[in-house]
Amino acid sequence: MEERCRPNSLSRRRFLSASLAGAALLLAGCGTTFAAPAPTGPPRRGGTLRVGVTGGGAADTLDPHSPATNPDIARVINLYEPLLIRDHDYRLQPVIAQSLTASADGRTWTAVLRDGVRFHDGRPVTPADVVATFKRITDPKAPKSGATSLSMLAEVVPAGDRAVEFRLSAPNAGFDDLLGQYSLGIVPADFDPKKPIGTGPFKLSQFTPGLQSTFTRNEHYWRPGEPYVDELVLINFTEDDARINALLSSQVDAIDQVPVALVDVLRSDPRVRVLTAETGSWLPFTMRVDRPPFDDVRVRQALRLVVDREQLINQVLSGQGKLGNDLYAPFDPAYASELPQRKQDLDAARKLLAEAGHPNLDIELVTAPIQAGAVEAAQVFQQQAKQAGVTVRIRKLDTTTFYGDNYLSWDFAQDFWYTRNYLPQVANGALPKSPYNETHWHDPEFAALIDRASRTMDTAERTSLLKQAQKIEYERGGLIVWAFENRVDAHQFYVAGIVPDRTGISLGGYQFRQAWIGKEAA
Amino acid sequence: MTAVEIPRADAEGEPPTHHSGLFRTAWAFPQAKIGTALTALVVLVAVLGPWLGPLVAGHEPTEFAGKPFKPVGIAGTDGLGRDVLSRFLAGGTTLLLYAVLATALGIVLGALLGMIAGYRGGLLDSLLMRANDVLLSFPQLVIALLAIAVIGPKGWLLVLIIGLTHAPRTALVARQATVAVRDHDYIRAAEMYAVPRGQILVQEILPNITGPLMVEIGLRLTYSIGYIASLSFLGLGIQPPTADWGLMINENRIALVVQPWGVLLPVLAIALLAVGTNLLADSLASAAAGRTRETRS
Amino acid sequence: MSRMILRRLLVSLVVLWLVSLLVFVATLLLPGDPARAILGQQATPERISALRHQLHLDDPVWKRYLDWLGGLFTGDLGTSTSTQGPVTALLGDRISASLVLLVLAAVLAVPIGLALGTWSSVRRGRATDQTISGVSLVIAALPEFVIGVALIVLFSTTVFKLFPSVTLTTPGEPVWRQPAQLVLPVVTLVLVVTPYIARMMRATMNEVLDSGYVEMARLKGVPERVVLRRHALPHAVGPVAQVVAIQLAWLTGGVVVVEFLFRYPGIGQALIDAVAKRDVAVVQAVTLLIAAVYIVVNLLADVVGILANPRLRTEAGR
Repeated sequence: MEERCRPNSLSRRRFLSASLAGAALLLAGCGTTFAAPAPTGPPRRGGTLRVGVTGGGAADTLDPHSPATNPDIARVINLYEPLLIRDHDYRLQPVIAQSLTASADGRTWTAVLRDGVRFHDGRPVTPADVVATFKRITDPKAPKSGATSLSMLAEVVPAGDRAVEFRLSAPNAGFDDLLGQYSLGIVPADFDPKKPIGTGPFKLSQFTPGLQSTFTRNEHYWRPGEPYVDELVLINFTEDDARINALLSSQVDAIDQVPVALVDVLRSDPRVRVLTAETGSWLPFTMRVDRPPFDDVRVRQALRLVVDREQLINQVLSGQGKLGNDLYAPFDPAYASELPQRKQDLDAARKLLAEAGHPNLDIELVTAPIQAGAVEAAQVFQQQAKQAGVTVRIRKLDTTTFYGDNYLSWDFAQDFWYTRNYLPQVANGALPKSPYNETHWHDPEFAALIDRASRTMDTAERTSLLKQAQKIEYERGGLIVWAFENRVDAHQFYVAGIVPDRTGISLGGYQFRQAWIGKEAA
Repeated sequence: MTAVEIPRADAEGEPPTHHSGLFRTAWAFPQAKIGTALTALVVLVAVLGPWLGPLVAGHEPTEFAGKPFKPVGIAGTDGLGRDVLSRFLAGGTTLLLYAVLATALGIVLGALLGMIAGYRGGLLDSLLMRANDVLLSFPQLVIALLAIAVIGPKGWLLVLIIGLTHAPRTALVARQATVAVRDHDYIRAAEMYAVPRGQILVQEILPNITGPLMVEIGLRLTYSIGYIASLSFLGLGIQPPTADWGLMINENRIALVVQPWGVLLPVLAIALLAVGTNLLADSLASAAAGRTRETRS
Repeated sequence: MSRMILRRLLVSLVVLWLVSLLVFVATLLLPGDPARAILGQQATPERISALRHQLHLDDPVWKRYLDWLGGLFTGDLGTSTSTQGPVTALLGDRISASLVLLVLAAVLAVPIGLALGTWSSVRRGRATDQTISGVSLVIAALPEFVIGVALIVLFSTTVFKLFPSVTLTTPGEPVWRQPAQLVLPVVTLVLVVTPYIARMMRATMNEVLDSGYVEMARLKGVPERVVLRRHALPHAVGPVAQVVAIQLAWLTGGVVVVEFLFRYPGIGQALIDAVAKRDVAVVQAVTLLIAAVYIVVNLLADVVGILANPRLRTEAGR
C-alpha cells in the first residue's frame, strides 16, 4: 500500500473530518510520515482513561470469581487481585501472597501474605479473608468458574496471623499455577457482590450491565505510585467497526481486539499506536481419536502434514501469529521446542492415507464463528487438503449450536484456547476426565506420564516427563495446532504504560494500574 | 421490495392476449430493450463466469492469490487473500439459480391457487384469501429470517421460503385475472360439455391470464434476486466458501476503503440484474395494459 | 361505514392472533433445548432441569403458548439465550432508536414522493415526467443494501467523506446525540420508499386529472393551479394514503437490512444478531413486533380508504 501513497498529503483539518466520516479505514494507508510523539519520562498522575472493550451484555457481572466476557475480565482484574498472577512475560509473580512454598510431598502449600495490602475500605487482608474467599469459590451449592481446577483442594486453613495453608487431597506440583488465576481474587470475609470490595488498584463507582462501568483510583493501593489515572471507564463494544471508530473519533483512549486485517490501516493513522503481543492462544482443529477415520493414527498424521501453517498464518491472521507444531503451552519452560517443526508434505500425507486405506478421504469439518478467523481457517484448510486429494466438506454452524448439545462430540471440528502452561492445559483438555477433551484423547502411556509429572517436585525430572508426554501428542495426538495468534490492540498516542502481554488478555492484560496519560492529551 | 398490491383494473373485460403478441408489443418499449441487454449481460457473466474466472484472473475462486486485502491482480484480493475478480465471476451462478427456482415455485403455486380460488369461488376462495392475509402481514424478508432462525441457512430453505412467500402475491393477481374471464362464453361452453375442471383451468383459463402472469414472473424474479442477495449480504443466505455476490459484499465491506473492488463489483452486478429484470417486467406490464401504466406490486 | 371499519378491525385481530400462533409454532420446530443453550458450557443436569422448570419448558405446549401470549401483554417477552437477560431489556432502547429512523424517513419520503408524483403527472409525457418515472423505476428495483453501499461509497468512504458509515454512539447514548450518523441510513430508506409513493401518486393523479369533474372545472375556466389544489388533490388522497401507509409499514421490515449495514443499534440489527445466534426469544419478539406494526398500519390505511371513499372499498379490494 505504501508506495501508492504520497507522504503527508493530509492536513490536520481534513484528517479530523475524515475520522468523523466514520469508516474505520478511511485513511487508506496514507499519511504514515508524521506520527505524533509518544509520551516520555516518568509516568504522570491524573486524568481519565476510557477503554473500549469487546463483548459483554445484559449478563455482565462484578462477581470476582465467575467472570465470563471480556468486560467481566477487565473489571475483575482492576477490582480484585489473586494470591499470585502471571505477569506480562507469563511468569508467575506473587501479589497478595508474598511467597508460596510447597511441602516436600507436594500436598501442602503455604502462602505468606504480603504486609500492607488493604481492601478498598482500608481494612488489611487477613488469613481469614483468604479462607473465606476459597470457601466462596468452592461452595458446593454454587461453585464458581475457578472451582473445577481446584478439585484436589481439600481445605484452606489459617497458619498464624500472616499465612494460609492449602491442604490437597493428592500431591500437585503445579498448584501454584492453579492459584495464579485472575478469577481467584481475594475478597473480604463479609464480601457482598452488590458492594464489590477487593484489593485492586481501582474502586467501583458506577456499573451498568451491558454498557459501561466507571472506577476511581484506590487510595489504599499497595504498589507505590500506582495507579496513575484518577478514573477508569470501561465501555462495552460488540461491533468491530464501532470500536475502531470510537478510537479514531477520540471517544475512547484505547480499544482491545483489532481485527488483524485492519492492522495496516490503523498503523497508518499517526495518532494511533497498535499494540501487538505474542500470546499462547491457539485455534486448533480437533480430530476425535475414537472415531473413524481419525481413529487411525496414520490419518491424523496425514492431516497434520496436509496443513501449510505459514499459509494459514498469512491468509487467516494476516501474518499475526507464530508457527504452531501440534503442541500447546509455548511459554511453559518444558515446551518441547526440540521436536522438529512440522511442515506441509503432501507426498507423505498421500502415502499415509493410502496405507490407511483412504486414498480419497472425504471428511466433514464442523466450524462456527467461535473466534475471529475460525471459519476462515476452515476454508483455508479445505483448500490445502484438496491438494492432497482430501475432500473436506465444511459445515458452518452458529456459535450457540456449536457449543450446544454436540459440543465435544464433533468428529472433526475446531476450538479456541487462551494461553496456559502445559499441566493446567492437560487438566482442561487432554485427560479422560478433563472437562473439554474435544479429541477424546485417552492414552494410558500419556496419562501415566502426566500423573507422575504432577507428583514430581523436582523441576528437571518433571520437565523431562512433560517432554515425553508432548512427544506422544506430537506423534499420535488428535490436535492440529497451526499457530499461536498475536493479540492486537490499539490506543491513542498519548496513552503510555500499556505493554504487550503474553497471557492472551488484551491491552497489557487489562492491567490499567500501569497506564498513564501523557501531556499531549490536553 | 415491498408488498403493495394494487388491483389491476385492466385485467377485467379485456380481450385475451396471446403471449407472443404480448412480447412483440412489449419490445416496442425502450425499457424492454435496455432491460433485456442488462439482464443478458449479467446472466452471461453468471453463467460463463465460473469458466472465465481462472482464465481472466489466473486464479481459481477458492485459491490464494496473495495476502489479504492487497491490490494484486486486476481487482485485488479479499479478506482471505483470494482473487476478487475470479470470485466475482463465479459469484452469480448460485444467486441466479436460486432466484429462478424461487420465482418458478412462487409463480406455479400462486397461479394454481389463484386460478382455483378465482374459478371455484365460494368458501374455498374465502379460505385461500384469508390465509393470504396472514402471510401478507409479514414483510417477506422477516418471514425468511424467522425460518432461517429455526432451520438454519440452507439453500433449499432460501428457495422454498422465498417461493412460498411469493405465492400469495401471485395468487391475488391470478385470482383477479381468472375472475375476469371465468364467465366468458367459451368457458361456459366447456362446462356444458362436461370438460373436467382441471382441463378447463389449464386449457381455457391459463392461456387467457398469461399477460398478468408474465408481468408477475418479471417482478417476482426482481424481488427474488433482491431477497436472496440481501440474505446472503446479512450472512444468512448462501454460505462460505461459495463465491457469491451478496456474501462477497458482507465479507469485504470491512476493507471498503483499502480494497473497494470486493464490494463494488458485486454491488454493480446485483444492481444491473435487478434493474434489468424490473425494466423487463415494466415493459411487459405496459404491453399487457395496452398503455404505460403502473404495475408495481 | 362504521360496520365496515369494525369488520376490518376484527379481521386484523384474527390475523394478528394467527401470526402469533405461527411465530410460536416456528420455535417448537427448533432442535435442541433452550435451557441448555442458555447455560452453555457450564450446564449440569440439575441446573438444566431447574432452568427448564423456571422457563416453564416442562409445561404442555398449549400452556406454554398461553403463557407466552400472556407475557406479551404484560411486557414479558422471555429470556434471551445470548444475553441471558430478559428480551425487553435488550429491545428497550433499540425500539426507540428504530422509531427515530422510521419517523425521519417517513417525514421526508412522503412529501417528496407526493410532490414528485404530482409534478410528474402535471407534466405528463414531457421530459420531467419521463426522467422521474425512469429514475424511480430504476431505484425501485434496487435492494436496499445496494442503495446503502452506493451511498457509503459516494458520501462516506471513497468519493466524499461527509457522513459516518457506521453508528458512532457509545452504547447507552441515544442515537440522535450525533445527528450526522443518522443521515445515510435515513437517506437510504427515503430512496427505497419514495419511488413507490411517487409512481402511485402519478398514476392516481393521472386518473383524477382525466376525470369528468376536473374536465368540468377546466371548462368553467377555473385556473389550472386551483383545479389542481381544489379538485384534483383531494380526490387523490384516499387511494394514495393507502399506498403511503403500506410503504411506511414496509419500512419496519426494510429497516432490518439498513440497520445491519450501518451498524445501527435498532431492532433490525437485534433481529439479525438473534437469527445468526439462533436466539429464538428475540426472533419471536421482533418478528411479532414488526408484524404487529405492519398489520396496524395496514388497518389504518384501510380505515383512511373507507373514510375517504366508501365505494372504493369492496371486499376483494386487496
